[in-house]
Amino acid sequence: MSSAPDTLGVASGGHGGVVPPGASTEAAALPVAGKGSKGSLPRLKTASAWVSVAGALVVWVALLGPVIALLAHLSWRAFWSAVSAPGALDPLLVSVESGLVTLLVLVVVCTPLAYLLARGRLPFPRVWEAGVLCSLLLPPLVIGLLLVFMVGPYTPVGSLIGHFHLTATNTFLALVIAEVYESAPYYVLGAQAAFGSVEPRLEQQASLLGDRPVRVFRRVTLPLAAPGLAMSLAVAWARAMGAFGAVVIIAYHPTGIPLQIFTTLQETGLASALPFALVLLVVALPLPLGAYVWSARAERRRRG
Amino acid sequence: MILGKSARIAALAIACTGLAAAGCSSSSSTAAGGSSPSSTTSAASSASSKPTGSVSVAYASSLQFLNEKVVSSAFQGAEGYSFSGQGNSSGTLEAEIAGNEITPNVFEAVGGDNITPLEPKFTSWYVQYAGTSMVLAYNPNSKYASQFKAIASGSEPLSKLFSLLQTPGLKLGRTDPNTDPQGRDFIFMLELAQAYYHLPADTVAKILGTSDFGSASSSEIYAESALDSTLESGQLDAASAFVTQAVEQHLDYIPLPDPINLGNAALASTYKTASVKIKSGTKHGSPQVIDITIIGSPTPAALAFVKYTLSAAGLAEYKTGGFSMITPTVFGSGVPAAISSELGT
Repeated sequence: MSSAPDTLGVASGGHGGVVPPGASTEAAALPVAGKGSKGSLPRLKTASAWVSVAGALVVWVALLGPVIALLAHLSWRAFWSAVSAPGALDPLLVSVESGLVTLLVLVVVCTPLAYLLARGRLPFPRVWEAGVLCSLLLPPLVIGLLLVFMVGPYTPVGSLIGHFHLTATNTFLALVIAEVYESAPYYVLGAQAAFGSVEPRLEQQASLLGDRPVRVFRRVTLPLAAPGLAMSLAVAWARAMGAFGAVVIIAYHPTGIPLQIFTTLQETGLASALPFALVLLVVALPLPLGAYVWSARAERRRRG
Repeated sequence: MILGKSARIAALAIACTGLAAAGCSSSSSTAAGGSSPSSTTSAASSASSKPTGSVSVAYASSLQFLNEKVVSSAFQGAEGYSFSGQGNSSGTLEAEIAGNEITPNVFEAVGGDNITPLEPKFTSWYVQYAGTSMVLAYNPNSKYASQFKAIASGSEPLSKLFSLLQTPGLKLGRTDPNTDPQGRDFIFMLELAQAYYHLPADTVAKILGTSDFGSASSSEIYAESALDSTLESGQLDAASAFVTQAVEQHLDYIPLPDPINLGNAALASTYKTASVKIKSGTKHGSPQVIDITIIGSPTPAALAFVKYTLSAAGLAEYKTGGFSMITPTVFGSGVPAAISSELGT
């Protein structure tokens, strides 16, 4: 896009580098997600562009600091001996299974709520949103303590599920419940924003053309909101895989990876615990990373 | 997104920069940790007669309430030094001190065997000054509460407790024997009770719900921080506890006799007959006595804190907190004169 006014000094490979007439230099200098090159590298032409990239680099490296420290302090021999011990990877399976079940629950239960919130179809919408924010604001440890009051064996809910020979403390069910509570607010708010980005006009036009609401949702709303929904699910997945505060209270057993890191730290110390943090990263990262890449591509396609 | 060659080089450079930074932080943190004994030395040498400065105390989790809510404020009021504390299991604290991950001035551990591994690098002595013991806390609203109360009051024999705990459907909570001393002590207590009351050989296995006593895979096991809250919220019928926890948190509890409660230092050889095999090896029962020592060179604040803890006022606070009183006894050598004089030795 060399023909575009290059206020930023960064030649954009896509359409996103065009600065609208009247837009301020500062506004144009802001990075815009999803815009920019289609695989080509931006060329840094001015000092301000170099400064902005350097600033971003400092922040990025700082954010990556814990991961870098993890890699720097990890002995590969310790890593191998930790992960090759008998049963060492059982918690990984527990985390992946519970994480996937959690995502399924979120999609089925929370997607309709997010859609209704986005479309303002609920009375007193601010009250509903405040409720979601409350669950977001509660520290996970507190959520765990309060879940004991909600689903403990001697509560009405606990008695009810007890009839089905289930219990919601120290079981797989308890683990999923804890993960759902730790991740649901992130998914609901993200999905609400994703649905909110879909023009209601497009849905109305599809309705006018005779599509039923379910078909409109499936053919119009869902495809347009899909990139945002994918990112919301990715965030929820990360929250579920790393869930600890509520889990340690109501689901000490079966052991997932975060709890395995905690107990290994107490049993044999830092050197034995750190390898499992890397396992968590390696296993948990592909799904959100895939969602991110797919979401960015879908967004680009949508914008033409 | 396809990265160009130069982008890949840039990414590699960034990663190297980060790794270098992490490496630097590693060496600097190690240096900081390693310098702690000398820093305490310099603090000691620069001490003036004016009571300023602070004491950093690493204590066993069972001493958290007493230290943070009672002793710290009384000590600060009496001596003028400020107090900062951190609680964890004694074994974890010992490992962290040994690895220079933490640099407290004072270490309070349950059991001297968590202090002796630190000798002679960090200390050469400790003083045993109080004891705690195992009890069984119970939920006063449980459907078994009347039976627990009858046993607690003595109207039913204590041996009945161990058949009651085997009742199907009774919800018992305990902590992980692999990570928490209390989890092991509860198992030791059951083993001692089985022998002391001549109970059937499978009593402990039935109560624990497993014949692998050291296993963490049990629905009875809760994190230490979750056990009492789950009992208090009414979702357990009974839970393991130290008497000090039960007193501090106003829990209903059944006291246990000395031969099984791990609270009498004179019965150490009896307690040692109980054992449990956990991931890190086989552990044996030992008296639940509290030991205190100074880590590194004694700072004035550290000396003042140990002296205060061992004074009549300090020991009285422990007694109020449910600890049993034992005559303070010195183990090892090189006890600072100020502490010896406090003990009258």
